[in-house]
Amino acid sequence: MTDPDSTGQAAPSRSRPVVRAMIWATVPVLLLVQLLASAGVEVSSFWSQIRQLDARIVRIADSRAELIAEPLWKMRYEQVTSVLNEIMHDETIAAATVYDDTGVAIARVAARPAGQAVTEVSRPINYSNGNMAVQAGRIAIAYSHATLYADTGSRLVLLLVVGLLGTLATVVAMRISANIFIGRPLAVMMSAIQRSKQDGRAYPADIRSSNEFGQLARAFNAMQHTTSGALDRLGHMASHDPLTGLPNRRSLTERLAVERRDTGSSDALVAFCFIDLDDFKGINDTFGHDAGDKFLVCISERLRGAVEAGDWVARLGGDEFVVIRPEVSDEDAAQAFAKRLLDAISEPIRLHDKQVAPRASIGVAVRRADDPELSHLPALADIALYHVKSRAPGTVAVLDEVLQRDYRRRRDLELAIPTGFSERQFEVWYQSQVDLDTQDVVGLEALIRWRHPEHGVIGPGEFLPLIERSGHNARLTRYVLTDACSALQRLAAAGKADIRIAINLPPSELADHSLAAELRETCARFGVPASSLELEITEGSLINNIASASETLQRLRRLGATIALDDFGTGYSSLAHLRRFPLDKVKIDKAFIREIPQSAEDKAIVGVIASLADTLGLTLVAEGIEQAEQAQAMREMGVKFGQGFLYHRPQPIDAVLQRLAGQAVSGKTGTSRLVADSRSIAPEFAA
Amino acid sequence: MTVALRILLAVGMACGVLTPVGCAVAADAKPLNVVFVNPGKTGEVYWDMVAQTMQAAGRKLGVHVEVLTSERNYRTMRELGLGVVARSDKPDVLILSNEESAAVPILEAADAAGVKTLLLSNTLIGEDAARLGPPRRTLKTWLGDITTDLQTAGARMANALIGAARAEKWQSPDGKIHILGIGGDEITPASIARNAGLQLAVAAAPDVVVDRMLFANWTQSEAEQVTANYLSWASRKGIRPAGIWAGNDPMALGALKAIAAAGLAPGQDIQVVGLNWSEDALREIRAGRLLLTDGGHFLLGGWSIVLLRDYADGCDFAASSSHVEVKTSAITRDNLVSVDDLIKTRAFDRIDFARFRAKAGACGRYDFSVDALISSLLVPDGAGD
Repeated sequence: MTDPDSTGQAAPSRSRPVVRAMIWATVPVLLLVQLLASAGVEVSSFWSQIRQLDARIVRIADSRAELIAEPLWKMRYEQVTSVLNEIMHDETIAAATVYDDTGVAIARVAARPAGQAVTEVSRPINYSNGNMAVQAGRIAIAYSHATLYADTGSRLVLLLVVGLLGTLATVVAMRISANIFIGRPLAVMMSAIQRSKQDGRAYPADIRSSNEFGQLARAFNAMQHTTSGALDRLGHMASHDPLTGLPNRRSLTERLAVERRDTGSSDALVAFCFIDLDDFKGINDTFGHDAGDKFLVCISERLRGAVEAGDWVARLGGDEFVVIRPEVSDEDAAQAFAKRLLDAISEPIRLHDKQVAPRASIGVAVRRADDPELSHLPALADIALYHVKSRAPGTVAVLDEVLQRDYRRRRDLELAIPTGFSERQFEVWYQSQVDLDTQDVVGLEALIRWRHPEHGVIGPGEFLPLIERSGHNARLTRYVLTDACSALQRLAAAGKADIRIAINLPPSELADHSLAAELRETCARFGVPASSLELEITEGSLINNIASASETLQRLRRLGATIALDDFGTGYSSLAHLRRFPLDKVKIDKAFIREIPQSAEDKAIVGVIASLADTLGLTLVAEGIEQAEQAQAMREMGVKFGQGFLYHRPQPIDAVLQRLAGQAVSGKTGTSRLVADSRSIAPEFAA
Repeated sequence: MTVALRILLAVGMACGVLTPVGCAVAADAKPLNVVFVNPGKTGEVYWDMVAQTMQAAGRKLGVHVEVLTSERNYRTMRELGLGVVARSDKPDVLILSNEESAAVPILEAADAAGVKTLLLSNTLIGEDAARLGPPRRTLKTWLGDITTDLQTAGARMANALIGAARAEKWQSPDGKIHILGIGGDEITPASIARNAGLQLAVAAAPDVVVDRMLFANWTQSEAEQVTANYLSWASRKGIRPAGIWAGNDPMALGALKAIAAAGLAPGQDIQVVGLNWSEDALREIRAGRLLLTDGGHFLLGGWSIVLLRDYADGCDFAASSSHVEVKTSAITRDNLVSVDDLIKTRAFDRIDFARFRAKAGACGRYDFSVDALISSLLVPDGAGD
């Protein structure tokens, strides 16, 4: 039924098995009953005939006895014989014998040679006249049932033949009538179904009879009608977004094909605008999904209102929209069109009595209508969108050569990640955290970099998003963890067991319950205490999965590791987070340090953070200290530890160990500045 | 013609010599024409002899006897009889034998035609007798009948058999004397009477059993067959057959043949009796194989003429009875000699029929016994010459 090729052929023969099954189900029963009934009748008739024959022979014997009595008694034996002879006309009688009262056979006649199974009837011959009544002898008639057997046998054969012929006729009649009344209507309906399946339209079955099949056909046609409507609706639903009524992703491919076909001049450019709403999730979370839906509907209406008749608007799902303008003069016109769309979208929307200003990013790709890459427009626009989302959300980017090159680089890097792991192209460098008062190194932050054979050293800011997107976060974390434990082992061996190493945990790792176990196992493997490890997390990773993150952090903390909140001040800077999560340390983002001591605001912010941390009992670390003045300012505000180029650039562990050893030799005479070959490497796990 | 004259002469001489009274009657006699429709076949001993005695008596008594033979065909008999009745020159008396009741229509036709009739040997029976009543009532011209007492004959034959068997002690293991009866048929009065005689005799003899009463259609061959069957059956039954009672002589002769065929010696191992006084029977008696033959009833022919002569002469036999019954007699080895020649030669003219005529005043009273017969016989050579 599901195979269209076979059903096409099978349709006319489909009714046969039904008819055949009916015939198989009924004909043997019919034949059996017929044969049994006729055989039963015949057998009972046979027994009745046997009884009749027996009775008849007895009657014949009696009547002959009566006739024979006198000649027998009067010893007219030739007369006895002649009387006896008369009964031989009866063909069932094989022989007859008359015995006198001495038991001697007086007369004997035989019709056929003995040897046949015969039955014998013996009756007395009574003679009487006026004076006497005696038994003059007896008559014995041997007769055969063979005639009856033969007759019955031939009748049974006849019945069998008649029964078979009758059954054959019945089969033929059933076959014909079943084909007419069942097979044909079924075939007509099957044909309607086949046609419907072939082109998706609902064809009625043309059956006009008034019997059950006629009723079935009418019901079927009614169902076909209903199905037809449902199919239409389904087709619309399949190609349209139910919420906004806009065409959906399915329609996109068709639409692009239409653009290629319909656009008149081959010089015309097709502009493809890929629109992604920024922070739609926030709207959903804040106002609820109903409001989110309303928001989307509102956006879709604005887009509809902003386009012209020839333009095409679709919602690809979630917060993604597409607008296609089939004819634009050049890329600038396309960009201007996209900007107009962005403007239209950006008008504030009222949700729950609150004005919300939608923000969106638009990636635009422009291709000639006859461009073979026309079908790639969504992907091309997506590249532009990726770029604008990562670089300048809320703006428009038109795909150009630069963006495409970036895209290709990104794609190359993404594909090279597994090789990077297997060939250990990822290197972990360590940047010191120092006590701002004593300048002593109290900890190291593990920072990852990729020494790519073709692209050279790549900073984490570029490849970490790729790692995350390709699902290699966990592998990278374990890679870093193992390296850090190894480094701790070497530090301990170098007598620096009090130096801790901080590892950046990407948000996905906080949801991984196995992390704590693996951390413990790795520490055990290298013989270093878990308390020597510090795990840095960002606020963003906490927000996405509060419960899971909290639990993971608790476990890690129970192992002895300290938890540091990284980049504090740039994100939510939620005080609640500080209180709610088991944090030990807060790292002030370098953005606040950079302008110090010039910026009084930044100083104030750092001051507030410092006093807050002091109140909550959290240790503060200032990142990105590059000048002595900044260090001085931090110390003045009560920040105890710092990290930055002023002290040390990130270095391989060998260099760090060497420096620490040198420091130990030189004592606390000054800050040895080791220049890293990396320009600026900062952990950027957050997107 | 000369024969008739010679007969008349002889009769006249006889009358003159022996019976003056009878001669007186004869002298007064007017010629009488009698026609006898013989039911039998030419050559059939009994009926031939009946006709011959009839004619012999006619010669003696001045009665012209015309014999018509129906050759055992009752249709012929009826045609002959009706033909006689229809004659212009009608006879005085028509003698018929009511065998198979074939004579009844002739009787009625004769009555209508005014022809006198006499039934001989077989009279009316059954329904006919009831319907027509006694002679001379319904049928005025039916004078009467003359028959033989065959029942007595049958009984006499049986008694002779029984006596012989008792004398020889031919009892079977069951202590009884077993005899076979062979009747002619079961329907004619002549047969029924004889058979009844047998039954009567046996009924009177508790030591005698009639094993079978078989019927042989009066014929020798059938009698031989049934006798053979009987003897075979008897031997299977362990019966010693003592005697065979045959309703007539031919059947007795058949029985004799069957006995011989069965390896028995008739007269020594078994006795046979017959009836008819046939020549063959007499020969067998002489040979000691046949015990006796009863009969003499062929003389009814002669006796009927005696009756008609008397009737014509005014001495009506009906004065005694219109049914005249004549006793038969047995011929054994003892009296064989007296009648042997008479029968052998059929010289019935030797019988002086005139002697048998009724005496005046005793009309209808006749002595037709064998003794009377024997004493009536003329010496062959004496009278004629």
